[in-house]
Parts: sequence; structure tokens; C-alpha cells
Amino acid sequence: MLIIDAKNVDFYYSDFHALKNINIEVEKNKVIALIGPSGCGKSTFLRLLNRMNDLIDGTRMTGSILVEGENIYAPNVRVDELRKKVGMVFQKPNPFPKTIFENVAYGLRVNGNTDNTFIEERVIESIKSAALWDEVKDKLNKSAFALSGGQQQRLCIARALAISPKVVLMDEPASALDPISTAKIEELIYELKKDYTIVIVTHNMQQASRVSDKTGYFYLGELVEFDDTTKIFTNPKEYSTQNYITGRFG
Amino acid sequence: MKRFLEKFVEGALLISGSVTSITILLIIIFLFKEATGLFNSPVVEEGYVLAMNKSNPVKKLNSYQIKHIFDADITNWDEVGGKEEPIEVVRLSDLTNYYTEEELGADFENIPAKASELTASRPGIILFLPEQYIAKNFDGTLLSKETMQPGDFFGGTEWYPTASPSPQYGLLPLLLGTLWVSLGAILLSLPFGIAVSVYLAEIASMRIRNILKPLVELLAGIPSVVYGFFGLVVIVPFLQETFKLPVGETALAGSIVLGIMALPTIITVAEDAMRTVPRAIKEASLALGATHWQTIYRVIIPYSKSGITSAAVLGIGRAIGETMAVLMVTGNAAVIPHTLLEPVRTIPATIAAELGEAPVGSGHYEALFALGCILFLITLVISISIEFIGRKKY
Repeated sequence: MLIIDAKNVDFYYSDFHALKNINIEVEKNKVIALIGPSGCGKSTFLRLLNRMNDLIDGTRMTGSILVEGENIYAPNVRVDELRKKVGMVFQKPNPFPKTIFENVAYGLRVNGNTDNTFIEERVIESIKSAALWDEVKDKLNKSAFALSGGQQQRLCIARALAISPKVVLMDEPASALDPISTAKIEELIYELKKDYTIVIVTHNMQQASRVSDKTGYFYLGELVEFDDTTKIFTNPKEYSTQNYITGRFG
Repeated sequence: MKRFLEKFVEGALLISGSVTSITILLIIIFLFKEATGLFNSPVVEEGYVLAMNKSNPVKKLNSYQIKHIFDADITNWDEVGGKEEPIEVVRLSDLTNYYTEEELGADFENIPAKASELTASRPGIILFLPEQYIAKNFDGTLLSKETMQPGDFFGGTEWYPTASPSPQYGLLPLLLGTLWVSLGAILLSLPFGIAVSVYLAEIASMRIRNILKPLVELLAGIPSVVYGFFGLVVIVPFLQETFKLPVGETALAGSIVLGIMALPTIITVAEDAMRTVPRAIKEASLALGATHWQTIYRVIIPYSKSGITSAAVLGIGRAIGETMAVLMVTGNAAVIPHTLLEPVRTIPATIAAELGEAPVGSGHYEALFALGCILFLITLVISISIEFIGRKKY
């Protein structure tokens, strides 16, 4: 079953044509990596999937993106409901200035959960799924800023998982982290695949080849090639893709 | 050559820095030096004495007691620690009630003798006379010369610097007046100011913000006397009508005018604080399915809490120090207020209104400086608390 189906997506920042006729189909419980040089539009595309680009003035989008069969750009769609379904982890860890517990509970609270036992269970469960439990179980009431960068990023993942999204978007989640933290995040992605569909933007091609099932290569706002990861990295169809993955530019 | 020039500039900077600091320090020292003079000023007007019958055990009276004896609020000596005996107040002009003008002499040359005689003959008397009329062999006790005590100032409930024979320099009515007006101002302006800053920082479109922000900042540039004028012409009559008051010049009028004056400070500071909330944190909240409003009150306001508190404290600081506008609209009655609908008088208004008529070096003059010190200490406490609040503690 297709969980994300983007058709003929064009996107403009004022008069800059940032995405050109993008078509991507994503199946359930797969990891999709989006790669490409800086400014190629991969992050822009990712942010279209939970309508984060709505926050930027002067943007315009044509085409349609279906999530679980519903067009998320239809006029009667409630954006906050959509974002519960499509969670997001950002490039830099951005915990709230609250305690570790409250960071994860935030999404539940804003969605109207008032049952404290349920919130507590869900928070613990999410922190466990983000492979952070052993490190924070004794300091749930400490500030989130007391954690290291890698721990903060996993906290942000736990936060995104707490509201049980269908899709998790990750915008270069490991780019600000050291190699050990990066490895932990990658392991985590592998684990999360069982329950979630993940779309990850990355600059790191080894990372894309390690974690993803399918890879899309963006260049100058176009989706040059979208195929199984093994195929992209061993036998790409396009010359440009081959140049990029072998490190000849970008 | 270049090194020499750099040294020279460094020296110049050092000198200007130290000159500024020393000037500020000198002003503070001057303020406190003048103020402490208050506690060396006599309780009874300079050049006058109070005399009593020899049999009267009371030898000391404080400033407050003297005032109330002469106001006939205290009518018996047992109220001030003496015997059961009605108090008989006699001023220089009252001597004619006891003696004919002939007896006092054509040039009042008999006053010393007669004053002595009168004091000796009446057990309950308290006589208020210029020092020159006290005879060498005066038959009575002179009240010992006391100076103003800190309690008379800090604990005094009346401000009446022209009272005779004992001027009243009670801080409380003025301090309470200042605090009431400022508190009222901040209660009015803080909710409004925060509402406007949330609107400007989060809701208004760029175009509206570009119009509104300069307008708000323009408010800060209007001279305070103009605000006072506006208050006098618009707010004072309005309050008088609405609450059916005998006079509209009340603490509330002062609070409203000050509230309007504190708004630009509060709005600007609070809005800046909200705009410094990192975009990443806002996006994190929105990405978790929070609505714009949930993001505002669960993330943006808590995150800019310290900025909002500084805004409030700066607003209070502005309100406490403001002189002209309050002077014009609060009615200037130096009594301890019980409701916001009574006239009050603030510390700065008192200094501005009275310094011109206080003789230099007099107790009144020094009392005004003491008020200045109190005001300085209040604002000092406020600025220190800003320092503490401003520190983020995550």
C-alpha cells in the first residue's frame, strides 16, 4: 500500500522554481533516503510532506501529495492533524526548554491527552523506542539541555514517536552529531522501520546506503533518479547520479 | 607612532569611563549626605521652644505627639505618658486671652515675665514661644531639644512639612501613594502590553507590524507633560463621571496615565524577547501537531518568560520614577490611600512640587533629599532584580 504518493509536485519560493515535477511513491514500513548536493531541493521536498513550508511567506505549490490516500493540500485539511500523522526530526537537536519527560509528553498534551498514566506509559515507551531509556531513566525530571547532542537528538526522535505518527521525516538527523551518536541513530532507524515509514534526507552517502531501502537523487530541483538503494549505489541509470555517488562533485 | 596612538585612545577611554563612574558616585554621595541631614534637624521649628509646668513629669515628646497635641487630637497628658491632666495649648498669639495688651506692654517687653508666670500657674500648659521670649529665670521646664528620629521618617504616617510647631516628614503616605499608582499602572499595562506583543511578534503580518511597531515606539517619545495634560482633560473628568467622585484626580487616573506611558517599554521589550525564540523550537512544536495558539502559550511565552518579566520590571521602573504626569493627575493629597479612587501623592511629584519652596538646609529640604534616596533605592532594587531575572536558568 502506498503511504506517500507525490504527483507532479512543483514548488516555488517567490519566483524561484525550487522543485520541478517531482513524482515519488513510498510504500509502508520502508526507509527512503533523499540525497543530493546542497540546495537541490531535497529538504524542501521533505518539508512539503508535513506542510512545514506553509510557515515560509511567499511560497507556492502545485500538484498533489497524498498521505494514506488523502490529499494533504486539499483546502479542508487540518494542518495540525496532518502533522500528528507525519512527524518530523530536525537537523539540529531542538528540545524544548523543559524537562526530559515534558519534552516527550508535549505532543500528547497539545493533542488533548489529560490521562497522566497513559502519558507516562507512552513517554517511557517512546524513550525506549528511541534507545535512550538506559541513559535518562534516572533523570527524567532534569532539563533536556543537560543531555549531550546525540542524546538530545534521540530525545527529539522520542518526542516525534510519542504521538504515534505513521511517517517520520528526518532532515539530516545526524549531521550535527559525532560518529558514535550517528551510529546509534542509524541503528535506531533500522529498528523503527518495523513500525514506521521513514523519509530521511542526508548528505552522507554511506548513511543512505546503510539505512535505506530506496533512494532518491535530487539535482537542481529535479528528481533525477528514484530506485532501490542497492541499484542506485551499484548500477545507477543516470550519469549525474553516478558522478554524485562516486564523489566526483557535490 | 601607531602604538602611541593606540595607547592614547586607550587612555582617553579609561579617563572617560572613570569620570562617568565618579560623577555618578558623587551624585549618590551628595544625595545621601543631604538626606542624612534630616536626622540632625530639630523636631520643633528652629528658633522656637516648647515649655511646660515644672510639675509635669513629661520631659520628651516626639514629633508626632507634638503635632497631635497642637491639633487637639491629644487632649490629656496621660496619653503621652504624663499625669491625668487636660492639656492647655498656648501659642504666642493666645497670650492675649490671658493678659490684656497693656499687661503685655506696648512693645511686648513684658512677654517673657508673663509667659513665665503663666507657665508656673497652670499645671496642664504647653507653651509654644520663640526662644527670645524665654526669660533667664523662666519658671517652667523647657522641652529637651530633640532631633528627628529615623522612625519619624520611615514610620511616619503624615507628610505635613509646614506643620507648626513640629513639621511632619512621614514617608509612608508618599511611599504607599507611589506604590499604589505604580501597581495600578502595571496591572493595567502588563496584560495589555503582553497581548500586543504576542500579536506583533506572532500573529500580525509583516505589513501590519511595520505600521504598528513604529507607532508604538512613537508613544515612547511623547513628553510626559503631554500625557499629564491628556490625563487631566480626558481621564480625570471621565473617572469623576463614571464613579461619581467629588474629584477625578485620583490614584486610578495616575495609574491609567502611567499605564499608557509604560506600554511602549513593555511592548518593545516583550516583543523582542518573543522574537528571539528560536525558529527551530517553534517548528518543533508545530511539527508535533500543536496549533499556532498552543505553540504561543506552551512554548513561546514560557521561553520568553525572562524577557517578559524584564519588560514588566522596566515598566514598573518607568512608572515609579515618573514625575510630571502623575503630579498633574493624582490630586497630590499626601494621605495614606485606602482605595484607588482617592487622591494620592507620589514621591517624585512631592520632590518636584516642594523643592522650590523648601529653604536650603532646612529640615524640609533634607526630607526631600531623603525621599530622593528612597526613590533611588527602589529603582536600584528594580535594576538588580532585572539582572537576576534576565539570567536564564535552564
